[in-house]
Amino acid sequence: MFGLFRKKSSSSIAKDRLTIAIMSDRENTENYAFMDEMKAEIIAVVKKYMGVRKVEVRKEVVGEIEALSIDVQLEKES
Amino acid sequence: MGIVIAVISGKGGVGKTTAVANVGLGIAQQGKRCIVLDFDIGQRNLDMILGLENRVVYDMIHVMDGDASLQQALIRSKVDNNLYFLAASQSKDKSVLDSEKIEKLVRNLKKEFDFVILDAPAGIESGYEHTIEFADKAIVVVNPEVSSIRDSDRAIGILDSKSQRVKEGKEVGKYLIINRIVPEMVRSGQMLRSEDILDILDIKLLGKVPEDRGVIDASNQGKPVILNKDSLAGAAYKRIASRLCGEDIKMVDIESEGGGLFKKLTGMFK
Repeated sequence: MFGLFRKKSSSSIAKDRLTIAIMSDRENTENYAFMDEMKAEIIAVVKKYMGVRKVEVRKEVVGEIEALSIDVQLEKES
Repeated sequence: MGIVIAVISGKGGVGKTTAVANVGLGIAQQGKRCIVLDFDIGQRNLDMILGLENRVVYDMIHVMDGDASLQQALIRSKVDNNLYFLAASQSKDKSVLDSEKIEKLVRNLKKEFDFVILDAPAGIESGYEHTIEFADKAIVVVNPEVSSIRDSDRAIGILDSKSQRVKEGKEVGKYLIINRIVPEMVRSGQMLRSEDILDILDIKLLGKVPEDRGVIDASNQGKPVILNKDSLAGAAYKRIASRLCGEDIKMVDIESEGGGLFKKLTGMFK
């Protein structure tokens, strides 16, 4: 009898699932728009002083804090 | 100078082309000059919905490539003198779309028409990015169903990053049409409520369109459902067109029980 009242409607299940799926979609794509441009600019700045092989940018979310970790790989000096 | 509106969706089959035809015709019925363009290259459909498939001689690519003039390629609607149509190319592949050519075409059409409405390919397809590039506003069409809503969020994401207006630091107005709502299912908790969809997508509501068998009957005949005075979907599109023309039309709660007295009462005020 109580099961009838406890059962969640399928529309609220849909809302919960969508909210989570869309949040994770956004996190994965939000970076893309400006990322290539930003990488190119970082490379240009660093290149003024030294050789750059590659730049990697990662977004990290820890609780409330969002951080970008930028990894600049330098060219080997020969 | 007219306004350019791209009608977009995440996945296909949500009623985007039907929305374009009805919103376009609704705007024309308000006395505004309106052109609807089919940008779904290779999957021409808008001509069928408008009942103009036999009139197509030249298409958009002919105009863009200079093989036909706009005057030659534009087709005037049989039912409203204010509505014009430009067909998508059926044969060539989608890579024929090119930013510069689209911008030129859209700029020319803006001079001639109050509303330029672009029927975009689904957001996951190539050609989508080109269609949204020069739009001033976008209408997002969704069904109250998880895959349509999720995909539309990605399409909105692309709009926000690729639109010319956004690149210029301006905003692209985004408005949502929720199509194919089944009121009984919403009431019984089996279909997402409009408020929930707006919450999830974070977008303004332009209108709600109920599921209506008349839509298929209308497309069979090539007469947009807005012409059917008894159709609930037709009435919904009429309200949407009026809102786009700047009228302040109240949102109708199509999900609540609409039978009996309520229907009669609203009928009195039509």
